[in-house]
Amino acid sequence: MRTGLSVRTIAALLLILLPAPLVIVIGSSFSPLAVLGFPPPGFSWRWYLEFLRTPEWLWAFGVSAGIALASAVLTTLVALGAALALQGAPARWRGWAETAILAPLLFPHAALGIGLLGWLILAGLNGTATGILAAHLILCVPFAYRPIAVSLAQIDTSLAEAATILGADPRQAFRRVTLPLLRPGIAAAMLFSFIISFDEVTVTMFLVGPETTTLPVSIYARLNDSADPVVAAISSILILLTAGLVLLMDWLVGLRIFIDVEEEGRHPAA
Amino acid sequence: MNRLLLFAPMGLLIAGFALSVLGLLWSSLIHGGAALYADLLTDPIILRVLWRTAWIAVVTTGLCAVLGYPLALFLARSPRRNLWLILVISPWLVSIVVRTFGWMVLLGNRGVINTSLRGWGIIDSPIRILFTPTAVIIGLVHVFIPFMVIAILSSLLQQDRRLEEAGRILGGTRWQTFRRVTLPLSMPGVTGGCSLVLLMAAGAIVTPLLLGGLRDRMLGTQIYSEIFQVYNFDRATAMAVLLLVLALLLVAPLRLLEARLRHRLEAG
Repeated sequence: MRTGLSVRTIAALLLILLPAPLVIVIGSSFSPLAVLGFPPPGFSWRWYLEFLRTPEWLWAFGVSAGIALASAVLTTLVALGAALALQGAPARWRGWAETAILAPLLFPHAALGIGLLGWLILAGLNGTATGILAAHLILCVPFAYRPIAVSLAQIDTSLAEAATILGADPRQAFRRVTLPLLRPGIAAAMLFSFIISFDEVTVTMFLVGPETTTLPVSIYARLNDSADPVVAAISSILILLTAGLVLLMDWLVGLRIFIDVEEEGRHPAA
Repeated sequence: MNRLLLFAPMGLLIAGFALSVLGLLWSSLIHGGAALYADLLTDPIILRVLWRTAWIAVVTTGLCAVLGYPLALFLARSPRRNLWLILVISPWLVSIVVRTFGWMVLLGNRGVINTSLRGWGIIDSPIRILFTPTAVIIGLVHVFIPFMVIAILSSLLQQDRRLEEAGRILGGTRWQTFRRVTLPLSMPGVTGGCSLVLLMAAGAIVTPLLLGGLRDRMLGTQIYSEIFQVYNFDRATAMAVLLLVLALLLVAPLRLLEARLRHRLEAG
């Protein structure tokens, strides 16, 4: 059944409006003047060079990338462990555990920021990369868990059984059969977690310190004073990085993983 | 035993989350107690902020649902869904701060919208959109609508398409089939998406701080400035607890609706 005209109109409008602000940001980053505007009055790489020449910006970029990388790897391992532990567990337990895992997603971030800040102050970790990483692990793990759980549910368990019957011990069966089949889920979990951590700002803004701050929080701090083209240039880099990772995820796994339909064993890229 | 070991790291993270929630409640009771809450709840400024947070969150959620549903429906039926999904998911994953910045450029007095409208001779003096509640709502809808679209899309794709065909064959018009079959079956996605957007919009900080005026503070922005401008940690903690209560109150009707819908669907 085709959709009606009004549905298609609203959909088309949104599909234009959703990327529009990002296109505007990228466009205005090429301004040769110090005033922000779109369309830019000319074309120059001036503000990108300024970004590359400013140690504070580069440092914030490095901190963000480091934390995002660490949190991608760690949350994926943690989520993989949890998903395997819950595989075949009684439905009720599984339900409880999944509610607990996904809870941070449903918790107002402003309140979570304060709660975490309280503990980090007690531990003397506020304003450090370790503190921010700890917070990001809690925030990102739901995003890592979902794709792994979905792809685990899609695996035919009889394959691992077959391996066991053919003489593999459980560890071999896991390494040679289950793990390779889980690869798309693991890739999606890592990419997803990396992006969420790299872009997080609402909770992180409570946890940064004078020496350690992340790129999105520095962008926010700068925007609070003035919106100039250097922020547009840095934002454009963030946009392109995110879009690149989304395309990579589409290519590796397929975007269907986002619409998680656990019971359907369809080809994930369909 | 093996299972416990595998789950242990996740248990640690869950404990970390639970402890920060409990710590929040605990320290607001220890350091401020009833007096602090009484103080907050009689402060006319805070009451206005609470009210504003509630209505902005509700309007944002409503707009996300009304606009997001048609988009989800379109995506569910489109043969080129994957292509369109890229346009929904890429902006969704770009940092909130960057997307909000885009709206600053679009909505400002010398922004894209005002410049074009003036260029076309439609208006003489710029219309003020930036630093108003309208700007905050536009920004929040943009930030949160992908969550709604994905929630609805996922429940639309789980539907058995033959039910719709049956509705049509039995003589229902397109609209009737939508209203009596497609929409009720996708309601779990709608209520799920609405809860998510309500909770996130109520706790938003960056978008209201950057797009709203000084007089359009929401609870999240109030909490942030209480910590970083006034350095009053206890008051901020108590406000965070108020935010939790407000969020629960906002989501409660949706939960009731959800339970009732499930009951009705199961009863057939």
